[in-house]
Amino acid sequence: MTSIDLQQTRRFRWKKFATEGAGRLIIFLVGSVILWALISAFLIERPDRYLPSPLSVVLSSADMLYKGSLLSFYSDTLTRLLFGGAVGILIGIPVGLALGLNRTVADMFYPLMNFFQSVSGIAIFPIIVIWFGNSDTTVLIVVLYTSFFPITFNVLSGVRAVPVRYIQAARTLGASRLQVVRDVLLPGAMPSIAVGTRLSVGFAWRAVIAGEMLAGRPGLGNMIFSGQELDNSAQIILGMVMIGITWIVLDHYLLRPLEADTIERWGLVQR
Amino acid sequence: MSGEAKLIIQDLCHHYPDEYTGQSVHALEGINLQVYENEFVAIVGPSGCGKTTLLNIVAGLLPYREGRAMVDGVEIRGPGPDRGVVFQEHAILPWRTVARNIGHGLELQRVPKEETRRRVQEYIDLVGLTGFENRYPHELSGGMKQRVAVARTLCADPVIMLMDEPFAAVDAQTRITLQDELNRIVMATHKTILFITHSVEEAAFLGDRCIVFSRRPGRIKTEIKIDIPREQRVWKEMGTNPKFTEARDQILHLVRQEVTSDDEH
Repeated sequence: MTSIDLQQTRRFRWKKFATEGAGRLIIFLVGSVILWALISAFLIERPDRYLPSPLSVVLSSADMLYKGSLLSFYSDTLTRLLFGGAVGILIGIPVGLALGLNRTVADMFYPLMNFFQSVSGIAIFPIIVIWFGNSDTTVLIVVLYTSFFPITFNVLSGVRAVPVRYIQAARTLGASRLQVVRDVLLPGAMPSIAVGTRLSVGFAWRAVIAGEMLAGRPGLGNMIFSGQELDNSAQIILGMVMIGITWIVLDHYLLRPLEADTIERWGLVQR
Repeated sequence: MSGEAKLIIQDLCHHYPDEYTGQSVHALEGINLQVYENEFVAIVGPSGCGKTTLLNIVAGLLPYREGRAMVDGVEIRGPGPDRGVVFQEHAILPWRTVARNIGHGLELQRVPKEETRRRVQEYIDLVGLTGFENRYPHELSGGMKQRVAVARTLCADPVIMLMDEPFAAVDAQTRITLQDELNRIVMATHKTILFITHSVEEAAFLGDRCIVFSRRPGRIKTEIKIDIPREQRVWKEMGTNPKFTEARDQILHLVRQEVTSDDEH
Protein backbone atom coordinates (compact mmCIF):
# COMPACT_ATOMS: atom_id res chain seq x y z
CA MET A 1 0.00 0.00 0.00
CA THR A 2 1.39 3.39 -0.92
CA SER A 3 1.54 6.11 1.68
CA ILE A 4 -0.98 8.19 -0.26
CA ASP A 5 -3.56 5.41 -0.05
CA LEU A 6 -2.96 5.15 3.66
CA GLN A 7 -3.35 8.86 4.24
CA GLN A 8 -6.58 8.89 2.32
CA THR A 9 -8.09 6.07 4.33
CA ARG A 10 -6.99 7.78 7.55
CA ARG A 11 -8.57 11.08 6.59
CA PHE A 12 -11.69 9.27 5.54
CA ARG A 13 -11.89 7.51 8.89
CA TRP A 14 -11.50 10.69 10.90
CA LYS A 15 -14.21 12.34 8.87
CA LYS A 16 -16.43 9.34 9.36
CA PHE A 17 -15.92 9.44 13.12
CA ALA A 18 -16.55 13.17 13.28
CA THR A 19 -20.05 12.66 11.94
CA GLU A 20 -20.82 9.00 12.65
CA GLY A 21 -23.14 8.57 15.58
CA ALA A 22 -23.23 12.32 16.20
CA GLY A 23 -26.98 12.36 15.42
CA ARG A 24 -27.65 9.48 17.79
CA LEU A 25 -25.50 11.10 20.46
CA ILE A 26 -27.36 14.40 20.20
CA ILE A 27 -30.74 12.65 20.41
CA PHE A 28 -29.54 10.75 23.46
CA LEU A 29 -28.21 13.88 25.18
CA VAL A 30 -31.23 16.03 24.39
CA GLY A 31 -33.54 13.21 25.49
CA SER A 32 -31.76 12.77 28.82
CA VAL A 33 -31.76 16.52 29.48
CA ILE A 34 -35.51 16.70 28.79
CA LEU A 35 -36.15 13.71 31.05
CA TRP A 36 -33.97 15.27 33.74
CA ALA A 37 -35.79 18.60 33.45
CA LEU A 38 -39.18 16.87 33.73
CA ILE A 39 -38.16 14.85 36.78
CA SER A 40 -36.64 17.89 38.41
CA ALA A 41 -39.71 20.03 37.70
CA PHE A 42 -42.50 17.61 38.58
CA LEU A 43 -41.25 14.78 40.77
CA ILE A 44 -38.77 16.40 43.16
CA GLU A 45 -40.00 18.49 46.03
CA ARG A 46 -37.05 20.79 46.61
CA PRO A 47 -35.21 20.53 43.30
CA ASP A 48 -32.54 23.06 44.15
CA ARG A 49 -31.35 20.85 46.96
CA TYR A 50 -32.03 17.34 45.61
CA LEU A 51 -32.00 17.56 41.81
CA PRO A 52 -31.47 21.02 40.32
CA SER A 53 -32.92 21.61 36.88
CA PRO A 54 -30.63 21.60 33.83
CA LEU A 55 -31.15 25.32 33.59
CA SER A 56 -29.82 26.07 37.06
CA VAL A 57 -26.83 23.79 36.35
CA VAL A 58 -26.12 25.78 33.21
CA LEU A 59 -26.49 29.03 35.14
CA SER A 60 -24.12 27.75 37.77
CA SER A 61 -21.60 26.91 35.04
CA ALA A 62 -22.06 30.36 33.49
CA ASP A 63 -21.34 31.90 36.86
CA MET A 64 -18.20 29.82 37.33
CA LEU A 65 -17.12 30.34 33.73
CA TYR A 66 -17.40 34.06 34.33
CA LYS A 67 -15.20 33.81 37.41
CA GLY A 68 -12.74 31.69 35.42
CA SER A 69 -12.65 28.86 37.94
CA LEU A 70 -14.50 26.25 35.86
CA LEU A 71 -12.03 26.15 33.00
CA SER A 72 -9.07 26.03 35.32
CA PHE A 73 -10.65 23.19 37.35
CA TYR A 74 -11.40 21.35 34.13
CA SER A 75 -7.94 21.72 32.63
CA ASP A 76 -6.27 20.77 35.92
CA THR A 77 -8.28 17.58 36.14
CA LEU A 78 -7.84 16.69 32.48
CA THR A 79 -4.09 17.29 32.67
CA ARG A 80 -3.78 14.97 35.69
CA LEU A 81 -5.93 12.35 34.02
CA LEU A 82 -4.16 12.35 30.67
CA PHE A 83 -0.65 12.71 32.05
CA GLY A 84 -1.02 10.17 34.86
CA GLY A 85 -2.99 7.79 32.63
CA ALA A 86 -0.58 8.08 29.70
CA VAL A 87 2.48 7.43 31.86
CA GLY A 88 0.74 4.49 33.54
CA ILE A 89 -0.16 2.99 30.17
CA LEU A 90 3.23 3.67 28.61
CA ILE A 91 4.94 1.88 31.50
CA GLY A 92 2.30 -0.84 31.61
CA ILE A 93 2.61 -1.93 27.96
CA PRO A 94 6.34 -2.84 28.02
CA VAL A 95 6.03 -4.40 31.49
CA GLY A 96 3.08 -6.50 30.31
CA LEU A 97 5.04 -7.48 27.18
CA ALA A 98 8.09 -8.49 29.21
CA LEU A 99 5.98 -10.55 31.59
CA GLY A 100 4.10 -12.13 28.71
CA LEU A 101 7.33 -13.09 26.95
CA ASN A 102 9.01 -14.90 29.76
CA ARG A 103 7.17 -17.34 31.97
CA THR A 104 9.90 -17.45 34.61
CA VAL A 105 9.91 -13.68 35.01
CA ALA A 106 6.12 -13.65 35.00
CA ASP A 107 5.89 -16.33 37.69
CA MET A 108 8.34 -14.34 39.80
CA PHE A 109 6.52 -11.04 39.57
CA TYR A 110 2.94 -12.24 39.33
CA PRO A 111 2.23 -12.54 43.08
CA LEU A 112 3.73 -9.11 43.68
CA MET A 113 1.63 -7.60 40.89
CA ASN A 114 -1.45 -9.35 42.20
CA PHE A 115 -0.76 -8.03 45.68
CA PHE A 116 -0.54 -4.42 44.57
CA GLN A 117 -3.45 -4.70 42.19
CA SER A 118 -5.71 -5.68 45.06
CA VAL A 119 -4.51 -2.73 47.13
CA SER A 120 -6.51 -0.12 45.26
CA GLY A 121 -5.41 3.45 44.55
CA ILE A 122 -7.48 4.78 47.40
CA ALA A 123 -5.92 2.33 49.83
CA ILE A 124 -2.41 3.54 49.07
CA PHE A 125 -3.50 7.17 49.21
CA PRO A 126 -2.71 7.82 52.91
CA ILE A 127 0.88 6.59 52.62
CA ILE A 128 1.44 8.67 49.48
CA VAL A 129 0.15 11.72 51.34
CA ILE A 130 2.61 11.01 54.14
CA TRP A 131 5.40 10.84 51.56
CA PHE A 132 4.47 13.71 49.27
CA GLY A 133 1.90 15.78 51.20
CA ASN A 134 -1.36 17.04 49.80
CA SER A 135 0.25 17.89 46.47
CA ASP A 136 -0.30 17.41 42.75
CA THR A 137 2.46 14.81 42.87
CA THR A 138 0.35 12.72 45.22
CA VAL A 139 -2.65 12.83 42.89
CA LEU A 140 -0.49 12.01 39.87
CA ILE A 141 1.12 9.05 41.60
CA VAL A 142 -2.25 7.62 42.56
CA VAL A 143 -3.55 8.08 38.99
CA LEU A 144 -0.44 6.45 37.52
CA TYR A 145 -0.59 3.58 40.00
CA THR A 146 -4.26 2.95 39.30
CA SER A 147 -3.93 3.01 35.51
CA PHE A 148 -0.84 0.79 35.48
CA PHE A 149 -2.43 -2.52 36.51
CA PRO A 150 -5.34 -2.97 34.08
CA ILE A 151 -3.18 -2.35 31.01
CA THR A 152 -0.32 -4.50 32.31
CA PHE A 153 -2.48 -7.52 33.08
CA ASN A 154 -4.29 -7.20 29.78
CA VAL A 155 -1.10 -6.96 27.73
CA LEU A 156 0.30 -9.93 29.65
CA SER A 157 -2.63 -12.16 28.78
CA GLY A 158 -2.81 -10.68 25.26
CA VAL A 159 0.79 -11.63 24.50
CA ARG A 160 0.19 -15.15 25.78
CA ALA A 161 -2.88 -15.50 23.57
CA VAL A 162 -0.98 -14.79 20.33
CA PRO A 163 -0.99 -18.09 18.38
CA VAL A 164 2.39 -19.84 18.44
CA ARG A 165 1.99 -20.41 14.67
CA TYR A 166 2.38 -16.66 14.01
CA ILE A 167 5.60 -16.58 16.00
CA GLN A 168 6.93 -19.69 14.25
CA ALA A 169 6.02 -18.27 10.84
CA ALA A 170 7.93 -15.06 11.56
CA ARG A 171 10.91 -16.99 12.94
CA THR A 172 11.14 -19.15 9.80
CA LEU A 173 11.08 -15.96 7.71
CA GLY A 174 14.20 -14.91 9.58
CA ALA A 175 12.77 -12.67 12.32
CA SER A 176 14.94 -12.01 15.36
CA ARG A 177 13.35 -12.10 18.82
CA LEU A 178 13.02 -8.32 18.80
CA GLN A 179 11.43 -8.41 15.35
CA VAL A 180 8.98 -11.05 16.59
CA VAL A 181 7.96 -8.67 19.39
CA ARG A 182 7.52 -5.78 16.93
CA ASP A 183 5.83 -7.62 14.07
CA VAL A 184 3.90 -10.35 15.86
CA LEU A 185 3.40 -9.94 19.60
CA LEU A 186 2.63 -6.23 19.73
CA PRO A 187 0.04 -6.21 16.93
CA GLY A 188 -1.27 -9.58 18.11
CA ALA A 189 -1.84 -8.16 21.59
CA MET A 190 -3.67 -5.12 20.20
CA PRO A 191 -7.18 -6.33 21.16
CA SER A 192 -6.00 -6.67 24.76
CA ILE A 193 -4.13 -3.37 24.60
CA ALA A 194 -7.36 -1.69 23.51
CA VAL A 195 -9.36 -3.27 26.33
CA GLY A 196 -6.61 -2.50 28.84
CA THR A 197 -6.37 1.12 27.74
CA ARG A 198 -10.11 1.58 28.17
CA LEU A 199 -10.01 0.04 31.64
CA SER A 200 -6.92 2.02 32.62
CA VAL A 201 -8.32 5.36 31.55
CA GLY A 202 -11.61 4.51 33.24
CA PHE A 203 -9.85 3.70 36.50
CA ALA A 204 -7.62 6.75 36.13
CA TRP A 205 -10.73 8.91 36.00
CA ARG A 206 -11.90 7.56 39.33
CA ALA A 207 -8.46 8.01 40.84
CA VAL A 208 -8.26 11.65 39.70
CA ILE A 209 -11.62 12.52 41.17
CA ALA A 210 -11.00 10.67 44.42
CA GLY A 211 -7.45 11.98 44.66
CA GLU A 212 -8.52 15.58 44.25
CA MET A 213 -11.23 15.14 46.86
CA LEU A 214 -8.88 13.59 49.40
CA ALA A 215 -5.87 15.79 48.71
CA GLY A 216 -7.96 18.89 48.32
CA ARG A 217 -6.34 19.90 45.05
CA PRO A 218 -8.39 22.22 42.85
CA GLY A 219 -10.18 20.37 40.03
CA LEU A 220 -13.47 18.77 39.06
CA GLY A 221 -13.29 16.23 41.87
CA ASN A 222 -12.70 18.90 44.42
CA MET A 223 -15.44 21.02 42.88
CA ILE A 224 -17.92 18.17 43.35
CA PHE A 225 -16.73 17.62 46.90
CA SER A 226 -16.94 21.26 47.89
CA GLY A 227 -20.37 21.45 46.22
CA GLN A 228 -21.63 19.18 48.97
CA GLU A 229 -20.08 21.26 51.72
CA LEU A 230 -21.49 24.45 50.20
CA ASP A 231 -24.88 22.80 49.76
CA ASN A 232 -24.62 23.65 46.06
CA SER A 233 -26.18 20.67 44.27
CA ALA A 234 -26.01 22.37 40.87
CA GLN A 235 -22.21 22.48 41.19
CA ILE A 236 -22.10 18.76 42.00
CA ILE A 237 -24.20 17.84 39.00
CA LEU A 238 -22.22 20.15 36.76
CA GLY A 239 -19.06 18.28 37.74
CA MET A 240 -20.66 14.90 37.10
CA VAL A 241 -21.96 15.91 33.69
CA MET A 242 -18.57 17.29 32.64
CA ILE A 243 -16.83 14.06 33.64
CA GLY A 244 -19.33 11.94 31.73
CA ILE A 245 -19.27 14.00 28.56
CA THR A 246 -15.49 14.21 28.52
CA TRP A 247 -15.29 10.43 28.68
CA ILE A 248 -17.77 10.00 25.83
CA VAL A 249 -15.77 12.42 23.67
CA LEU A 250 -12.40 10.83 24.54
CA ASP A 251 -13.77 7.41 23.76
CA HIS A 252 -15.40 8.40 20.48
CA TYR A 253 -12.63 10.53 19.04
CA LEU A 254 -9.53 8.85 20.42
CA LEU A 255 -10.09 5.21 21.30
CA ARG A 256 -12.73 4.21 18.75
CA PRO A 257 -10.88 5.46 15.63
CA LEU A 258 -7.75 3.75 16.92
CA GLU A 259 -9.63 0.47 17.24
CA ALA A 260 -11.30 0.86 13.85
CA ASP A 261 -7.91 1.36 12.18
CA THR A 262 -6.31 -1.63 13.86
CA ILE A 263 -8.13 -4.57 15.36
CA GLU A 264 -11.37 -4.08 13.41
CA ARG A 265 -9.55 -3.53 10.12
CA TRP A 266 -7.56 -6.71 10.74
CA GLY A 267 -10.69 -8.72 11.50
CA LEU A 268 -9.51 -9.53 15.03
CA VAL A 269 -12.77 -8.29 16.53
CA GLN A 270 -16.19 -7.83 15.01
CA ARG A 271 -18.47 -4.93 15.71
CA MET B 1 20.03 -37.82 -9.00
CA SER B 2 21.97 -34.94 -10.46
CA GLY B 3 22.85 -31.80 -8.54
CA GLU B 4 23.94 -31.51 -4.95
CA ALA B 5 22.02 -32.46 -1.83
CA LYS B 6 20.41 -29.36 -0.34
CA LEU B 7 19.09 -31.17 2.71
CA ILE B 8 20.96 -34.01 4.37
CA ILE B 9 19.54 -35.96 7.30
CA GLN B 10 21.68 -38.66 8.92
CA ASP B 11 20.63 -41.19 11.55
CA LEU B 12 18.11 -38.81 13.03
CA CYS B 13 16.18 -40.03 16.08
CA HIS B 14 13.78 -38.13 18.23
CA HIS B 15 12.09 -38.73 21.59
CA TYR B 16 9.92 -36.33 23.51
CA PRO B 17 8.05 -36.55 26.81
CA ASP B 18 4.28 -36.91 26.51
CA GLU B 19 2.53 -33.79 27.77
CA TYR B 20 0.16 -35.63 30.07
CA THR B 21 1.73 -38.94 31.05
CA GLY B 22 5.32 -37.71 31.02
CA GLN B 23 6.37 -40.96 29.33
CA SER B 24 8.94 -40.75 26.60
CA VAL B 25 7.43 -40.92 23.12
CA HIS B 26 9.60 -42.38 20.40
CA ALA B 27 8.73 -40.23 17.37
CA LEU B 28 11.52 -40.82 14.85
CA GLU B 29 13.97 -43.66 14.42
CA GLY B 30 17.08 -43.71 12.24
CA ILE B 31 15.99 -41.31 9.51
CA ASN B 32 18.36 -40.98 6.56
CA LEU B 33 17.23 -38.69 3.80
CA GLN B 34 18.64 -36.44 1.13
CA VAL B 35 16.78 -33.85 -0.86
CA TYR B 36 18.58 -32.68 -3.99
CA GLU B 37 18.47 -29.36 -5.76
CA ASN B 38 15.20 -28.73 -7.67
CA GLU B 39 13.76 -31.93 -6.28
CA PHE B 40 10.24 -32.34 -4.93
CA VAL B 41 10.19 -34.90 -2.14
CA ALA B 42 6.83 -35.87 -0.65
CA ILE B 43 6.65 -37.64 2.69
CA VAL B 44 3.51 -39.65 3.25
CA GLY B 45 2.44 -41.76 6.19
CA PRO B 46 -0.33 -42.46 8.69
CA SER B 47 -1.22 -39.73 11.15
CA GLY B 48 1.03 -39.64 14.18
CA CYS B 49 3.92 -41.22 12.29
CA GLY B 50 6.30 -38.38 13.06
CA LYS B 51 6.39 -36.73 9.65
CA THR B 52 5.51 -33.32 11.08
CA THR B 53 8.11 -33.84 13.79
CA LEU B 54 10.69 -34.32 11.04
CA LEU B 55 9.58 -31.13 9.30
CA ASN B 56 9.72 -29.16 12.55
CA ILE B 57 13.26 -30.37 13.14
CA VAL B 58 14.33 -29.29 9.65
CA ALA B 59 12.53 -25.96 10.14
CA GLY B 60 14.56 -25.47 13.32
CA LEU B 61 11.43 -25.21 15.45
CA LEU B 62 12.26 -28.40 17.33
CA PRO B 63 15.75 -29.09 18.74
CA TYR B 64 17.17 -32.55 18.16
CA ARG B 65 19.95 -34.44 19.90
CA GLU B 66 20.54 -37.68 18.02
CA GLY B 67 21.77 -37.64 14.45
CA ARG B 68 22.46 -34.79 12.09
CA ALA B 69 20.46 -32.46 9.90
CA MET B 70 22.12 -30.06 7.48
CA VAL B 71 20.98 -27.56 4.90
CA ASP B 72 23.58 -26.50 2.32
CA GLY B 73 26.17 -28.24 4.48
CA VAL B 74 25.33 -26.19 7.57
CA GLU B 75 24.06 -27.92 10.69
CA ILE B 76 20.49 -26.82 11.59
CA ARG B 77 20.35 -24.80 14.80
CA GLY B 78 17.09 -22.94 15.11
CA PRO B 79 14.86 -21.43 12.44
CA GLY B 80 16.18 -19.36 9.56
CA PRO B 81 15.14 -17.81 6.26
CA ASP B 82 17.03 -20.50 4.31
CA ARG B 83 14.19 -22.90 5.26
CA GLY B 84 10.83 -21.35 4.52
CA VAL B 85 7.76 -23.12 5.89
CA VAL B 86 4.21 -23.23 4.56
CA PHE B 87 2.05 -24.32 7.48
CA GLN B 88 -1.28 -26.09 7.30
CA GLU B 89 -3.35 -23.02 8.15
CA HIS B 90 -3.68 -19.87 10.24
CA ALA B 91 -0.10 -18.74 9.74
CA ILE B 92 -0.28 -15.51 7.75
CA LEU B 93 -0.46 -12.41 9.92
CA PRO B 94 -3.98 -10.89 10.15
CA TRP B 95 -2.60 -7.35 10.67
CA ARG B 96 -0.66 -7.33 7.42
CA THR B 97 -2.15 -6.89 3.97
CA VAL B 98 -1.52 -9.55 1.31
CA ALA B 99 1.40 -7.51 -0.07
CA ARG B 100 2.95 -6.86 3.33
CA ASN B 101 2.60 -10.52 4.34
CA ILE B 102 4.35 -11.62 1.18
CA GLY B 103 7.06 -8.99 1.58
CA HIS B 104 7.60 -9.73 5.27
CA GLY B 105 10.68 -11.89 4.73
CA LEU B 106 12.35 -9.27 2.53
CA GLU B 107 11.46 -6.59 5.05
CA LEU B 108 13.15 -8.61 7.78
CA GLN B 109 16.24 -9.01 5.58
CA ARG B 110 16.22 -5.22 5.02
CA VAL B 111 15.96 -5.52 1.24
CA PRO B 112 15.53 -2.04 -0.34
CA LYS B 113 11.89 -0.92 -0.69
CA GLU B 114 11.86 -0.67 -4.47
CA GLU B 115 13.23 -4.18 -4.94
CA THR B 116 10.83 -5.54 -2.33
CA ARG B 117 7.89 -4.01 -4.17
CA ARG B 118 8.99 -5.48 -7.46
CA ARG B 119 9.54 -8.96 -6.07
CA VAL B 120 6.32 -8.92 -4.05
CA GLN B 121 4.35 -8.01 -7.16
CA GLU B 122 6.08 -10.79 -9.08
CA TYR B 123 4.97 -13.42 -6.55
CA ILE B 124 1.48 -11.94 -6.17
CA ASP B 125 1.09 -12.37 -9.92
CA LEU B 126 2.62 -15.86 -9.81
CA VAL B 127 0.08 -17.16 -7.30
CA GLY B 128 -2.80 -15.36 -9.01
CA LEU B 129 -3.64 -12.78 -6.37
CA THR B 130 -3.28 -9.73 -8.61
CA GLY B 131 -5.76 -7.09 -7.44
CA PHE B 132 -5.80 -8.36 -3.85
CA GLU B 133 -2.56 -6.63 -2.78
CA ASN B 134 -4.19 -4.40 -0.18
CA ARG B 135 -6.67 -6.88 1.24
CA TYR B 136 -6.36 -8.22 4.76
CA PRO B 137 -6.37 -12.00 5.38
CA HIS B 138 -9.83 -12.03 6.96
CA GLU B 139 -11.20 -10.81 3.64
CA LEU B 140 -9.78 -13.83 1.77
CA SER B 141 -10.99 -17.39 1.27
CA GLY B 142 -9.08 -20.33 2.72
CA GLY B 143 -7.52 -21.15 -0.65
CA MET B 144 -6.39 -17.56 -1.17
CA LYS B 145 -4.83 -17.47 2.28
CA GLN B 146 -2.75 -20.52 1.42
CA ARG B 147 -1.65 -18.85 -1.83
CA VAL B 148 -0.46 -15.92 0.25
CA ALA B 149 1.40 -18.34 2.52
CA VAL B 150 3.10 -20.01 -0.47
CA ALA B 151 4.00 -16.65 -2.04
CA ARG B 152 5.35 -15.36 1.27
CA THR B 153 7.67 -18.35 1.61
CA LEU B 154 8.82 -18.21 -2.03
CA CYS B 155 9.39 -14.45 -1.94
CA ALA B 156 11.96 -14.83 0.86
CA ASP B 157 13.84 -17.13 -1.55
CA PRO B 158 14.70 -20.04 0.78
CA VAL B 159 17.18 -22.79 -0.12
CA ILE B 160 14.43 -25.31 0.54
CA MET B 161 10.69 -24.84 0.94
CA LEU B 162 9.06 -26.98 3.64
CA MET B 163 5.34 -27.63 3.32
CA ASP B 164 3.38 -29.14 6.20
CA GLU B 165 0.08 -30.48 4.81
CA PRO B 166 -0.52 -27.07 3.22
CA PHE B 167 -3.76 -28.02 1.46
CA ALA B 168 -5.30 -30.23 4.14
CA ALA B 169 -7.62 -27.55 5.52
CA VAL B 170 -9.20 -26.35 2.26
CA ASP B 171 -12.18 -27.90 0.46
CA ALA B 172 -11.67 -30.66 -2.13
CA GLN B 173 -12.23 -28.47 -5.21
CA THR B 174 -9.81 -25.80 -4.02
CA ARG B 175 -7.29 -28.47 -3.11
CA ILE B 176 -7.17 -29.77 -6.69
CA THR B 177 -6.71 -26.24 -8.03
CA LEU B 178 -3.97 -25.49 -5.54
CA GLN B 179 -2.15 -28.73 -6.40
CA ASP B 180 -2.24 -27.87 -10.11
CA GLU B 181 -1.00 -24.39 -9.31
CA LEU B 182 1.80 -25.65 -7.12
CA ASN B 183 3.03 -27.72 -10.03
CA ARG B 184 3.00 -24.68 -12.27
CA ILE B 185 4.88 -22.70 -9.59
CA VAL B 186 7.48 -25.46 -9.19
CA MET B 187 8.06 -25.39 -12.96
CA ALA B 188 8.42 -21.61 -12.88
CA THR B 189 10.67 -21.29 -9.83
CA HIS B 190 12.62 -24.63 -9.75
CA LYS B 191 12.35 -24.69 -5.95
CA THR B 192 13.62 -27.53 -3.83
CA ILE B 193 10.66 -28.78 -1.80
CA LEU B 194 10.04 -31.10 1.13
CA PHE B 195 6.31 -31.76 1.29
CA ILE B 196 4.47 -33.49 4.12
CA THR B 197 1.04 -35.01 3.49
CA HIS B 198 -1.25 -37.79 4.63
CA SER B 199 -2.90 -37.86 1.21
CA VAL B 200 -1.49 -40.60 -1.00
CA GLU B 201 -2.94 -39.03 -4.15
CA GLU B 202 -1.36 -35.70 -3.37
CA ALA B 203 2.04 -37.25 -2.71
CA ALA B 204 1.96 -39.23 -5.96
CA PHE B 205 0.69 -36.26 -7.93
CA LEU B 206 3.33 -33.81 -6.72
CA GLY B 207 6.42 -35.78 -5.70
CA ASP B 208 9.45 -36.64 -7.78
CA ARG B 209 10.08 -39.04 -4.94
CA CYS B 210 7.64 -40.29 -2.34
CA ILE B 211 8.93 -41.37 1.04
CA VAL B 212 6.56 -43.69 2.88
CA PHE B 213 6.79 -43.53 6.66
CA SER B 214 6.00 -46.37 9.00
CA ARG B 215 3.80 -45.80 12.00
CA ARG B 216 5.42 -44.62 15.22
CA PRO B 217 8.33 -44.65 15.77
CA GLY B 218 8.55 -43.08 12.30
CA ARG B 219 10.98 -44.85 10.00
CA ILE B 220 11.44 -44.60 6.28
CA LYS B 221 9.65 -47.69 5.03
CA THR B 222 10.10 -47.30 1.29
CA GLU B 223 10.98 -44.77 -1.27
CA ILE B 224 9.19 -44.60 -4.60
CA LYS B 225 10.40 -42.64 -7.62
CA ILE B 226 7.70 -41.12 -9.76
CA ASP B 227 9.15 -40.44 -13.14
CA ILE B 228 6.57 -38.16 -14.73
CA PRO B 229 7.64 -34.85 -16.26
CA ARG B 230 6.15 -31.77 -14.55
CA GLU B 231 4.47 -30.66 -17.77
CA GLN B 232 2.32 -33.78 -17.71
CA ARG B 233 1.32 -33.30 -14.09
CA VAL B 234 -2.11 -31.73 -14.43
CA TRP B 235 -5.19 -33.33 -12.88
CA LYS B 236 -7.03 -33.41 -16.21
CA GLU B 237 -4.47 -35.88 -17.56
CA MET B 238 -2.94 -37.49 -14.49
CA GLY B 239 -6.05 -39.50 -13.59
CA THR B 240 -5.48 -41.71 -16.61
CA ASN B 241 -1.68 -41.72 -16.56
CA PRO B 242 -0.67 -45.35 -15.84
CA LYS B 243 2.59 -44.29 -14.19
CA PHE B 244 0.61 -42.16 -11.75
CA THR B 245 -2.12 -44.71 -10.96
CA GLU B 246 0.46 -47.44 -10.50
CA ALA B 247 2.56 -45.35 -8.10
CA ARG B 248 -0.53 -44.18 -6.24
CA ASP B 249 -1.83 -47.72 -5.75
CA GLN B 250 1.57 -48.93 -4.65
CA ILE B 251 1.88 -46.15 -2.05
CA LEU B 252 -1.71 -46.65 -0.94
CA HIS B 253 -1.00 -50.33 -0.35
CA LEU B 254 2.11 -49.51 1.71
CA VAL B 255 0.32 -46.92 3.83
CA ARG B 256 -2.65 -49.26 4.35
CA GLN B 257 -0.30 -51.89 5.75
CA GLU B 258 0.78 -49.38 8.37
CA VAL B 259 -2.74 -48.35 9.26
CA THR B 260 -4.01 -51.95 9.61
CA SER B 261 -1.07 -53.09 11.68
CA ASP B 262 -1.77 -50.07 13.85
CA ASP B 263 -5.34 -51.28 14.35
CA GLU B 264 -4.23 -54.74 15.37
CA HIS B 265 -1.80 -53.19 17.81
